[in-house]
Amino acid sequence: MTKPAIKKPGHKLLRSSDYACQYMTHDSPVHRLGAGWKLALGTLLSALAVGARTPGELLALVTVTLVYYFAARLTPFDLWRDTRFFVFQAVLIIGLYCLLKGGDKGLWPGFRQSAQIILFYIPGAVLLRTTRTGDMMRGLRRIVPYRLSFLVFVSIRFVPFFLRELDEIMTAQRLRGARLLPRQLVDPRNWGDLFHCLLLPLMVRALKTAEEVSLSAEAREFGARQQRTFYDVSRQAGQAATAHLKQNTVPPCSHMGPEAGKGLL
Amino acid sequence: MTNSREQVYLWHRFTLREALLLGFCATFILLTRAGLRLHLHLPGHVMFFTMFFYLLARGCVPKIGAATLVGLIVSLGSLLLGMGTKGPAVFVKFILPALLVDLAGALFPAFVTSMLACVLVGAVSASVRALADTGLEWLSGMEEEVLLRKTVITASLFALYGGLGSLAVPSIIRRLRKNGLIDQGSGS
Repeated sequence: MTKPAIKKPGHKLLRSSDYACQYMTHDSPVHRLGAGWKLALGTLLSALAVGARTPGELLALVTVTLVYYFAARLTPFDLWRDTRFFVFQAVLIIGLYCLLKGGDKGLWPGFRQSAQIILFYIPGAVLLRTTRTGDMMRGLRRIVPYRLSFLVFVSIRFVPFFLRELDEIMTAQRLRGARLLPRQLVDPRNWGDLFHCLLLPLMVRALKTAEEVSLSAEAREFGARQQRTFYDVSRQAGQAATAHLKQNTVPPCSHMGPEAGKGLL
Repeated sequence: MTNSREQVYLWHRFTLREALLLGFCATFILLTRAGLRLHLHLPGHVMFFTMFFYLLARGCVPKIGAATLVGLIVSLGSLLLGMGTKGPAVFVKFILPALLVDLAGALFPAFVTSMLACVLVGAVSASVRALADTGLEWLSGMEEEVLLRKTVITASLFALYGGLGSLAVPSIIRRLRKNGLIDQGSGS
């Protein structure tokens, strides 16, 4: 007989995130800070991490960084998720120092280096964990040219679409005998199937989709002007009202203006 | 294939269709990164698909800057999706290899059809990514000997996976060209 799984009261609290740097919805002082402030604070902490040399400096920095991290109501498990990628690096660095300088002399410099690298990246993790994607996108739009930010948002927007495509292609190819199961793909002899039966059709689909999306956007004159154009609802509403007053039959569909209705999109 | 009626959309070079295709290559890199981070914990394995899609992007859009644009979109997308564990360093680690792919494309425009050239470019470009970490470690005062050895180890792992990922690119490019789906690779 198997015992039913008993969840401890603190279980959910500790294991709160599914992957590293996942945004966590909490009400904390760090969450309430603006993205710009978090970026500035993070840059300062990262710069201090690079400059820290003595055990005292490092200890002070560890304390400040951990206070900043846990002030965002993140858990030790979240911290482990965010920093476990650096464990391999830490093992390698400490190992190399011990190899070159001996166990006693190499341990501290190796540990200091590893701690500095981890401390350098923690503020970035806090920024990602406490800032909504929407807030970051709004910030991005101020810095990145609209043509480039359009591409970034389209590529993110199409993630679920290509996931569905990938799933459909994989199912169809498996039915035709392609070796695409995860355990089959561990064997490098099956990588040919991965590239030719899965990634090649996916690329063909991407080519077709790019053609369709670009035709659709260009038909709406997207990218025809140097400045970003916006859908002008106020002008449309005004013209519709005028048209209604004049008892015309069909109001115009849409108008594009370089600066009009800026807050809409 | 570029239509004569298409307008240039980005950097006086790419049409909207080409830019979107490069954006989709970035989507695939993001997808594979998300998929791999859930299952594997091998250092450097991310470069397997990253280099595959960089080289494929260069093959599908044979223009200078194609791989760099993919790198830029992946960096920005990673930051927005919370995959940029290394913060702003994500730009360096994605754009540096892409720049090298574009450099190889500028010097040898037809390299994407040669398996040997692809493996070489894939391995070298992937290994350059190790410099992103090396820069930080050098600034934080790591000893040169340790720094050098660590860089060699990580760069070798990146190069191994990058080279393996680049192996399949020439055959896929040839098949896409044979079916008239992409340009015949005149380059620019």
